[in-house]
Amino acid sequence: MLNAKLLLAAVVAVAVFGTIFAASSLGPRAQAQNEEKLVQGHALESYTTTGDVLDPEHQDNRINTEEIDPDRYLREFNYGRVSTLPDGTTLREFTIIADDSQTLEVSPGIFYNAWTFNGTIPGPTIRATEGDLVRINFINNGSKSHTMHFHSIHEAHMDGVFEVIAPGGRFTYEFTAEPYGLFLYHCHVQPIEEHIAHGLYGVYIIDPKEGRPPADEMLMLMNGYDTDFDTENNFYTVNGIPFYYMHHPIQIENGRLVRVYLVNILEFDPINNFHLHGNVYDVYRTGTGLTVDESTDMITMSQGERSILEFSYNYPGLYMFHAHKTEFAEKGWTGTFLVME
Amino acid sequence: MERPSSVGTGKLVASAVIPLVILGAMIAFLLWPGNSFLNFGTPLPDVTVERLEFGEKLIIAHIRNTGPETVDIAMADVNDRIRPAAIEPSKTLERYGAARVVIPYDWNEGQPYEIGITTSDGTRFAGSVQAATMTPRPDAGQVSLLALLGTYVGIIPVMIGLLWLPFLRQLSQGKYMFFMSLTAGLLLFLGIDAVVEANEVSAETVAGSLGGVVLIATVTVVSFLALLYVSERLVERKSKTAIVGASSVALMIAVGIGLHNLGEGLAIGGAMVAGEVALSTFLIVGFTLHNTTEGLAIVAPVARQKPRIAFLALLGFIAGAPAIAGAWIGGFIASPIASVVFLAIGAGAVFQVVYAIFKFAGGKEKFLSGPVVAGIATGMLLMYLTTLLI
Repeated sequence: MLNAKLLLAAVVAVAVFGTIFAASSLGPRAQAQNEEKLVQGHALESYTTTGDVLDPEHQDNRINTEEIDPDRYLREFNYGRVSTLPDGTTLREFTIIADDSQTLEVSPGIFYNAWTFNGTIPGPTIRATEGDLVRINFINNGSKSHTMHFHSIHEAHMDGVFEVIAPGGRFTYEFTAEPYGLFLYHCHVQPIEEHIAHGLYGVYIIDPKEGRPPADEMLMLMNGYDTDFDTENNFYTVNGIPFYYMHHPIQIENGRLVRVYLVNILEFDPINNFHLHGNVYDVYRTGTGLTVDESTDMITMSQGERSILEFSYNYPGLYMFHAHKTEFAEKGWTGTFLVME
Repeated sequence: MERPSSVGTGKLVASAVIPLVILGAMIAFLLWPGNSFLNFGTPLPDVTVERLEFGEKLIIAHIRNTGPETVDIAMADVNDRIRPAAIEPSKTLERYGAARVVIPYDWNEGQPYEIGITTSDGTRFAGSVQAATMTPRPDAGQVSLLALLGTYVGIIPVMIGLLWLPFLRQLSQGKYMFFMSLTAGLLLFLGIDAVVEANEVSAETVAGSLGGVVLIATVTVVSFLALLYVSERLVERKSKTAIVGASSVALMIAVGIGLHNLGEGLAIGGAMVAGEVALSTFLIVGFTLHNTTEGLAIVAPVARQKPRIAFLALLGFIAGAPAIAGAWIGGFIASPIASVVFLAIGAGAVFQVVYAIFKFAGGKEKFLSGPVVAGIATGMLLMYLTTLLI
């Protein structure tokens, strides 16, 4: 009598566990209905899925590309509204508006509260010729104080450090463009690290009077995003979007001189670097001289450092460039040149 | 209890429903779209990586949205390096929704890995293993391997323990009480051990929002009460003779230990999946020694009777076999929540058995006699010593 009950209990127990086992092993598979998509790993491994693909390296399905557009930024140089002063000096006027309310898609599916100059990361590239008068009409449209601090030579009160511009405030920065070279500008309100890390920076180029040899000129600004605010970057990019030039190779011509204005604005990490595949380049450190400082395939820069790089390719094909701090490379600071015949 | 006849059924229902209606109205007011009355602070996302599996050039992370709101998963990484991945069924996870993140990856056997999941606001959540090893698939080979392990740690040691029956039978009443209390001590230790283990699992892998600690308390108490109720009914319904009483106590001990061994099986299966291979071998040896004492616990109440061999074998099976089911669940499908729940059920079951033993023994002797105190202390100490082997 007792044993019969026990057997019954055992049967019930087995049935219950069997049901749990079967139900659990079915799991999410039962809901799949979409078409199959391929996820390609870095080596030969791959996986076919009916779910969603998470792949910032091979896909660019961002929603807003206006505010962070690495293709446009690459070759967009702004020379300002040009006029000539009575003494013959060229005046270049720019209007720059700071904002800190935008949420931008800094990598596919990742939204970040960006602080911007003229609504973009990086801010617009300002370009002048040595001796020009540069006038920046700065408007702070943000909810926090901001400034514009330019590298290069100028008077103390044009330095954008002690004259903090309150929300809604304006300031006119005016200085002569000197010396020639590759500079940058950024907000200098404390905490500076925070104001820079959020996106308040851009490039300032001063050309020598006699100009540089003709070349396919482009800008590469190396930055990062600390999206979880742990003072470590989650993403590293060149020109604003991780891996962008992996799926949008930069097209250049075989044999033609390429000039890269390379700027490092990375926060949190003390160094950053640039390695080019299948080539070496001439380095003009800070762009303040016209003689080559070194020829290399690997340049390392500290925070805020800049260099002009010149090279041309001898063989067509697809070549990679990336940070040789490979951690950065695998978190987005990787791209490709497509050398055309 | 009789209700006063002056109160009609309608009034009774109304008196029960009115507070619910008021409560519902208040909740509706608070949740009403556009009501910004209580909108302060930012709800923070929370994603829990519940389990990692390693397949043929694949790493699979089982994740769950344990935050307050729906989240979108934007990215996966391996050891903090961004990797292409698939997410099934969808990258959008409702509250408590689960997904599988599949990362094509040529991983290395025995190496530690951390898998990171980044939500759309850029927050990263991670889970890790100490040593990657191919996750067992529920094929015939793995099923029988785990069944064999369950047999080693569950059935065989319990059966060995049962062989102490002739020894117990020849003891004087005082010594017998000592061994009964020893059994209680062993089980008391097992119950505490299960609660501690459940807390550990809960702290490591169960999201805070699922309230691991209070879940353990709730399940332990409910398991204890349910088994107590069932066992009392079982003992009541039988005749009041000592023989059947003793058999019932032995049966309830076997059931309690069986539930406990289910938890042990989970631990062993889980250790295999987590790649703690060396640990798993120790676990098995440790549990084998540990569980031999459980056989002793089962035979102690029936030592004064002459139980049939088949009945004893059945008790051993009830106590030991759940280790096999546990190993299967732990090895193939277990989520941390399931582990916590099973461990808590086991703890409640064991505490109920301790209670049953005391009640059984209490009928014959003064409760806290010398042999009883010595037995409990020895039992717990013995268990502690066998635990050092695990």
